[in-house]
This record gives sequence, structure tokens and C-alpha cells, in this order.
Amino acid sequence: MLLCPTSEEDESFESGRRRLRGPAVVVDCEDDNDKNEEIPIASSSKTVTPYLSEHIPKTYNPMSGPDGQVIPSTEDAPSANTKYCNRHRPDRKCRRQANEPSMEQLQSELNTLSQTDQQSISHVWSIFSAAPAKQRNLILQGILSACCFPQLSFISASVRDLINIDFLTLLPPELGFKILCYLDTTSLCKAAQVSRRWRQLADDDVVWHKMCEQHIDRKCIKCGWGLPLLERKRLRLEKRQIQLRATGRGMNEWSPNITPLPESPPSSREASTEPVFGRKRSLEEEEISPESVAKRLRITPLSNESQQRAVTKQPWKDVYKARFKVGINWKHGRCNIKTLKGHTNGVTCLQFRANILASGSYDTTIKIWNMESKEEIRTLKGNDGHTLGVRCLQFDDKQLVSGSLDGTVKIWDWTTGQLIKTLTGPTQGVLSVHFDGPYLCAGSMDNHIYIWNTQTKRAYRIVGHTDFVNSVKLDVASRTLFSASDDNTAVLWDLDTQKPIRIFRQHTGPVQQVLPLPHEFEVDESDLPEYVPDVDTDTDSEHEHHHHHDSIHEHDHQDVPNAHTHESHPRTRKAHATPPPPLSNPSLFPDDSDRPNPPQYILTAALDATICLWHVPTGRCLRIFFGHLEGVWALAADTLRVVSGAEDRMVKVWDPRTGHCEKTYTGHEGPVTCVGLSGERVVSGSEDTDIRVLEFADEGPGGEVA
Amino acid sequence: MASASAPAVPQITLTSSDGIDISVDRSVAQRSVLIKNLLEDLPTESTNEPIPIPNVNEAVLKKVMEWCEHHKNDPTTTNDDDSDSRKKSTDIEEWDQRYMSVDQEMLFEIILAANYLDIKALLDVGCKTVANMIKGKSPEEIRKTFNIQNDFTPEEEDQIRRENEWAEDR
Repeated sequence: MLLCPTSEEDESFESGRRRLRGPAVVVDCEDDNDKNEEIPIASSSKTVTPYLSEHIPKTYNPMSGPDGQVIPSTEDAPSANTKYCNRHRPDRKCRRQANEPSMEQLQSELNTLSQTDQQSISHVWSIFSAAPAKQRNLILQGILSACCFPQLSFISASVRDLINIDFLTLLPPELGFKILCYLDTTSLCKAAQVSRRWRQLADDDVVWHKMCEQHIDRKCIKCGWGLPLLERKRLRLEKRQIQLRATGRGMNEWSPNITPLPESPPSSREASTEPVFGRKRSLEEEEISPESVAKRLRITPLSNESQQRAVTKQPWKDVYKARFKVGINWKHGRCNIKTLKGHTNGVTCLQFRANILASGSYDTTIKIWNMESKEEIRTLKGNDGHTLGVRCLQFDDKQLVSGSLDGTVKIWDWTTGQLIKTLTGPTQGVLSVHFDGPYLCAGSMDNHIYIWNTQTKRAYRIVGHTDFVNSVKLDVASRTLFSASDDNTAVLWDLDTQKPIRIFRQHTGPVQQVLPLPHEFEVDESDLPEYVPDVDTDTDSEHEHHHHHDSIHEHDHQDVPNAHTHESHPRTRKAHATPPPPLSNPSLFPDDSDRPNPPQYILTAALDATICLWHVPTGRCLRIFFGHLEGVWALAADTLRVVSGAEDRMVKVWDPRTGHCEKTYTGHEGPVTCVGLSGERVVSGSEDTDIRVLEFADEGPGGEVA
Repeated sequence: MASASAPAVPQITLTSSDGIDISVDRSVAQRSVLIKNLLEDLPTESTNEPIPIPNVNEAVLKKVMEWCEHHKNDPTTTNDDDSDSRKKSTDIEEWDQRYMSVDQEMLFEIILAANYLDIKALLDVGCKTVANMIKGKSPEEIRKTFNIQNDFTPEEEDQIRRENEWAEDR
């Protein structure tokens, strides 16, 4: 009785059934023997049966076997295509699963109908199920045109819930990874909780390696969120392996699944776990410490290689997680504070690497500390020690160089406390030292910069500043040197000619610090404030025409047209519709193609209470950091943050890109004279004789949890 | 996509998996690196023959060509993986957002087709669209969005939730 409505059914169902005539007739037409208008129940089975027998064998779906077993179909290719689009062929696992609760409801509703009705409805279903794809669409078109609005609404609501596709599971893994790589940390961790397959993909090294690349030691362009550095080298080393994996190849190899398997024998994995973090951090601070930034290229000790190999066993998600936790601590300013006490006069300078901290003081001594235990390891002084306050120091694996108000530079073996050598030359106090490669340089209160070349045994001085030289930083690769002076300027010098390449004028007070930023540091032009042209900074052409002979100040007043003297407030200058020079990095040494450029960005800090970020090739002052109340004496930076210490007794942490002050730390009772920074620590020294260590590591000194 | 276009624009014919011929501007179809390479390899006289696209049906092929038509003047993207990985923004331009306002089935097919036809920019937009459907959702909301069965035992689920808690520490 397919087309004869029975009385007890509700109106809509009835009308729906009645209009099934459309598709039913189509089916009918295929059967040449049956031309009746009204099809009695007996002939309906005549219509249905041949239809089913025609189509079912061809489209027999092995997946819909009664026990739900998947029977691998061997000869499905051409025939299966008649019914399914390429994706829905039964041999692919793309078939929708029947929804259990709704199928039960359907069953119970069907059971309330009479046998005849049940049979009729069943016929409709079986015909539809048996129909090839094109005819299915035809049937549906007929049904749709027979529907009234409430039924269309029912269809529309049902369809919305039905077309839900598990993209990650059904797409090839490389596309799944691609999708996951667009996610943020939190969403990725939510995705890992969805199902087994999702977990497998969302925890994969491919995804987390990329997350590490984007966030560790750099600000992610997408979210502006950066994490402290780890083994940059490991990221690089494993990149190819990861790329291969991202293409879906190698998917059968190890992946950090529910039961992660180490890539190497468990013994080596075990062995690596404990010491790795300690060594990792020492590497990290090696790279991150501002004092050693310029050394980066030079220092690649062999031992690092073995460290890298040892570390590679850790899944990238764990690597990311460990750094993420530290990043969170930085963000919220959560840290453990330690105070190192021992100096008997103001602390003037410090540097740390791994757990070793060296500090110099007006008390004429240098102290070596274990930051972990807060213990003093030794004090460098004695009969041949400095006779006046120590103002500056730098150390590496073995040697420590210190400069003092007594006008000498001393080289020590800090591991034994022995004095190796005393260098003389400066006629007044030494305020700054820096060594890198064969060079050792010192800035003095006699306004000069002294340079000793340990290879050529040559010593010479750079004359140009007209007041104390407070800070010197070598860049050996480019044979240049940055200096900061009480004459309110910072200068980039050519070590070959001992002439200035750039003079950075912006500060209205003595410049205390100059600090090159790591090569990885980048500035997004769109983050910058409105451009203020820096008319009195030397440009290339000026440099060619005006060589500096005597003093920077003479140059300032005589050579440069429109020179702004220090009385004119630099910040009141306005741009005259001149577009800013682009932040490109053309060679500063066009005649010497092998000579690399010096670091592209530097920071300076001055007693005018400001910090400036400069673009070296153009000499542009990109940004001024306001917030300190008194002169800024100390500066440290990595690619993620800048730390400053000032006479106002505050330590501030800044975002170098936005110029925002992220945190202010108080606690010192005197001016902060020196600061140090690593991925997990800020250390500050003060005239109050204390050294404060802020630890942002997560758990304990290692900062890692197993 | 009929032959109404100006004759000056060279046309090619694509044959979908369901046997429908679609003619498009050659320059539009060449947004697909697969088709572009194919055309370059073909001798010039045989470029008039229909090109079979056996993995993409008519509806999807038309939809994909609609995207190619809109983006035909875009500069070709470099395959610089590094710059891509730095800028992983999931921002999608307005036209593409409207274009992607389709049901999940069509979205799925577009992604597969873009992958097959090697149209990187379209694949990016498709994957970003799916990523945006995942973003900010709880695991249960994700399951609902994509009709996924939770195949973890309650104990496993609890353990995995705790494993991933760190990411919520904001």
C-alpha cells in the first residue's frame, strides 16, 4: 500500500508518504512490465525486488555487513563508484556512523505501525539505499519538493547536526598537522583530549616542534607570546626530520602516543634526563647572556654536540611545556627571590653563567658565587688585587677580566683566584671592559677607549669621546666597537680605522650603557611609534664626507648643518612628511664584501632616565622607553625582554618591541648599578651592597619537572 | 563557467570525476599547480582537449574554480616554509570567509581538492577555517562540532586532562 495512506497516521507523515509518488514512479519506469497507475502491494514488491536485485549486488557494501565487520573489498573500484563519490567508497573509512540513540527511537516508532506500513516504509528505505548516487539525488529531489515547510525545517535542523566530519581523522595526516599547526597552545592541549586519534596527532612532534620554533626565544608574530630560549640548535638539527614526518612519511615510527617509546635504548634516555637540564641551562645562558652575545659565533664547544644528542629524546611537547611554564612565571612576575650578601660596599658590576655569578664592588674585591646555594665560592683580591673600587668585569670558562677606578685592567683565573696579568694604560679609572676573540677593550674616565689585541700583541686607543667612556662592546665579526659616554652619545667605531661609523644622539644625559641585541632580534615596523627623523645622526654620505678627527662634539657643532645641540630637546622634533628610511640592513662596508655588518639593533641607557632602541644601519632611534624616575645605570637584554636598573632603586622588565614596561621590581635600598638576565633569571646589584636574584624557573633550580 | 567569456582569453576544459565538462580561463585554472604543470607538459595543440580531474566532482570543482577566479590576480605565493611558519595567523580575509561559509562536507572536499590540485593558498584558507572551528573550544565542544566519539576510558580522560592542564595556566 505504498501510495494508499492509512487513516491512523498523522497528517504530515501521510502527505510525505503520498508524495513519494515522484521517486516511486521513477523506479516504476525502470520496470517495463508494470504500468499501473496505482500500485497494489503485491506489485510493489514486484517493483522493488527487481530494483534491489539490479543495484544491490553492484553496490554491496561490505562495511554494512550484519556484524559490522569490515570486509576488505578487492574489486570495488569501478562498481563502488556508481554509488559512492570517491570519498564514500566503502573501502575508505569515510562512512558516517549511524547514531545509536536516534536509530533506537526510529525503531520504536516504526514498531507502532502496522505490518503493512512497516513494509511500505522499509521499501522506501531499501530502494533509496540500493540506488546509485545519481538516482539517490533524484529521489531526494522528489522528496524535498514534496516536503512542506515544517518538514524542510526538520530536514534542515537534522542535516546541520549530521554533516559533522572528523576532519583530523579523515584527512591525510599531513593535512591534519597543517590544521593543528594553526592552533594556539591551549587549543592544542584541548584537541589532545578529544579522542585517541586526535591525541596522537595533537601531541605529535611535528606540531610541537613548530610551536617551539614559533615561541621559544622569539615573540610569536601571531600571539606576541615568547618563551625563554632552549637549544636553538636542536630545533635546527631536527627540522629536516620533522619536515619529513610532517609530510606523513615516517608516521609509523615513534611518536609520543599514549605509550611513548624512546627513540633510543632506555638506558641512554634515563641517563640523559637528570643532567640534561643543568647542561641545557648552561648552554642557554651561554647564548643568552648579553655579555656573550657577540661571542655567539665563536663559542660552539664540542661538548654542545653531545648535549644536543642527549636532549633529543624528550618529546617536543614536553620541551615546550617546560618553557611555557617559565614563560607564565615571567608573565605573572612569579619568582623566587634570593639575596646574596657579602660585599662591604656598593656592588658595581656582575655577570652570571649557569650557576656561577661574578660581582665587583667598590670594596675593591670581586666575588664568585654559587647562585644555587647562595654561597660565596671565592673572593678575588689580595696584595696584587685592585686598590680602588672595581667598576666592571667579564668572565668566561676560565678567565675573568676586571676594570677598576685604580686605572688598571686585571685578568684572573677565577677558578683558582689567581691573578694572571695586569694591563695598564688608562690614566684614570676604568669604567668598562669587554673581551671577545683576540680583542680586549676598556673604556676609561680619561675619555679614551683602550684596545689590546692578544694575537698581534698590539695595543692602541680610540680617541673621540669628550667625557667618561661608561660602556664598551666589541663585535669581532664586523671589527667594530660600540661605546657609550658621559658626553651624551653612543658611537659605533670601526676598529680598523678607529673612526666613528655612526654616532647615536638622542639622550639628554650621560649614556651609561650600550648593548647590541642578538642577531635574531627583529622589529616589526608596524609596532613602532610615529617616525621622528634624526637629523643629526650621521648618515652614510655624511660619514664619507666628514671624518672625525678630534672630538665628537666638535663635529657636532661644526660639521653637520642643522646640528641639534643638546639644548634643543630631541623629542620635540617633528617629522616633516619625510618617510622613515626602511629598516633594511645594507652593508656598512660596501668595499669589503666579506665583512659582516655589526648587530642591527642596539639599546642605550642614560642618566636622562630613558632607554633608547636604535636601528644601527640607519642610525634611527626607533623607540624610547620611559618609566624610570631617575638615571638608568644598568641594562641587559635577550630577544624577548629588556631589563634595566636605575638610580630610582627599581628593576624594570620591558618588551623591546612594544616598549611596554611589563614588570617593575623593587627591593633594593640603593641605586641599582648592574643587572643580568637569562631565560630564567634576573640578577641585580646595588649600592646597598646586596645582589638580588629573581628565579623564574618553575620548580626548583632546574626549572623542570619530570 | 560557460563559453560566454571573451574569445581573447584562452579557455581550457576540465572534466570532473562525475564526467561533467567545465570550461574555465586558462589563467584561472593555472592557480592549480597541478593543472599548470600539466598544461606546461602538454604539447600546445592538445591543450584544447578536456583535462580529467578524476578526484574532484562537479560541485566541488566549480566551487574551487570560483576561488581561483577571485584570486586569479594574487601574487603567487612563495613556498618559503619558514616565513609561513612565522606568520601562522589564522586571520582570513573577508571574501574567503564568506567563501568558506559552507557545510563541513563541502569544506572537507575543498581541502581535499586544494591539496590534490596543489592550490596552496586555498589549502591554507581551508585548514585555517577548520583550525578556527577548533579554537577556544573544550574537548566536548570539539567532539560535538565534528561528531567524534570519545573513545577514552574515564580514567584515561582524567589522566590526559591533568597532563594538559599546564596550558591553561594563564
